[in-house]
Amino acid sequence: MKLIDPTVQGPNTIHKRAPRLASVNGLTVGLLANGKANADILLRETAALFADRNGCKVAEMAWKRNASAPAEPATLEDVATKCDFMLTAMGD
Amino acid sequence: MTKDTQIHEVEDDLLAAIDYCYEQGWTDGLPVVPPEASRVDSMLSLEGRPPETVLASHPATGLDCTIHAAAVNAVMAGCLPEYFPIIVAAFEAMNEQPFNFHGSTASTGGSAPLLIVSGPIVDEIGMNSGVNLFGPGNRANATIGRAVRLILLNVFKMVPGISDKSTQGHPGKYSFCIGERCDKNPWPALCEELGYPDGVSSVTVYAGSGFVNVENHGGNTPQAILTTVADAMANYGCISAGQSVVVLSPEHADIVAGTGWSKAQVQQYLYEHANRPIDGMQQIGKFREEEHGRGARAPPASHQVHRGLNSEDILVTVGGGDAGGHSAFIPSWSRSRGSIMQSKPIGVCLDCD
Repeated sequence: MKLIDPTVQGPNTIHKRAPRLASVNGLTVGLLANGKANADILLRETAALFADRNGCKVAEMAWKRNASAPAEPATLEDVATKCDFMLTAMGD
Repeated sequence: MTKDTQIHEVEDDLLAAIDYCYEQGWTDGLPVVPPEASRVDSMLSLEGRPPETVLASHPATGLDCTIHAAAVNAVMAGCLPEYFPIIVAAFEAMNEQPFNFHGSTASTGGSAPLLIVSGPIVDEIGMNSGVNLFGPGNRANATIGRAVRLILLNVFKMVPGISDKSTQGHPGKYSFCIGERCDKNPWPALCEELGYPDGVSSVTVYAGSGFVNVENHGGNTPQAILTTVADAMANYGCISAGQSVVVLSPEHADIVAGTGWSKAQVQQYLYEHANRPIDGMQQIGKFREEEHGRGARAPPASHQVHRGLNSEDILVTVGGGDAGGHSAFIPSWSRSRGSIMQSKPIGVCLDCD
């Protein structure tokens, strides 16, 4: 009996981590809230630690429009131009 | 078959083949019909497009569901070929961005795609739109809904505990498919409201949470019945800005429409009465500034929040057995408007050349 496999193969996407930063001192931290409650509070308080300890500047917070969907490409592109590294969070 | 089709040669023993499917992790926990090659060919017989045609793509993983992959899973679910156009249309609907089928199938909210089929195909393929509407006993309803789940499991890898993080899920995650009852529906069918040509059936797909039974055997006015439904819609566990599906039983629909109420009036009544006071929402911790407004946009505490944004967020249809004052409210997935229901014509393309 010949059975047809009901699964499919995924795309051959190779994900690589971004190069590790030598230091975050004096860099700009970007913030991306996932849209759920308290994400903005968690991000701001975390960013404040980077500001206090590392002299980081804090970019304006960006938001996902839907917590359960990927961030809009335009949102990610915009954040990328305004920071050296980014924090994202849900505070739910 | 497609160029990527993988064949598994197994012994000619049906029971062994069923066990083999279990061993491969291809089931929803229940036995499946082994996806034997000739059955898959039969499933594809009513589909005119090439089998490698992509019906839906998964944004989080990049996985695609082709017509062929859908057919294999439809065989496993126990579908007949004449059911397959509904599955095809359902995934085309779920592939529309506002449906957000990744989120609705991965979320702790634990929703399942509810398929509401409307039009002549309901009777043509023997779907159940009557007694025991959401229950077992009808091959079409059971296997069409099951095929949707098997595709989510096998093609899109929405595996419980790994990529499907439902806190509790619900029984509709095995199968959640109903027909709209046309002979007891006092209003235009959903496929007519969608503006499809005469004879064209539709499937509406809705990311639905668990089923809420709405019982009222004593009310005999539209207000009595619909106030009961609205109360179910507005309970603190369900209320959100999300959409709603209301399936009125024939008895309830007869009472409501018997005095001339249109469906638009029904939707408006439900919207107006399915509400909770803002201070109450605040007291239980469900008032969300992101959703309801913050700062200068914050509504006064004396106001109400409604279920949905307007009356059109409430889909009203008719289904179930002749006897009984039991209707159903199906809440939307989770807390807000993460998924918006989508509809497609079945077996035809209305905007193709």
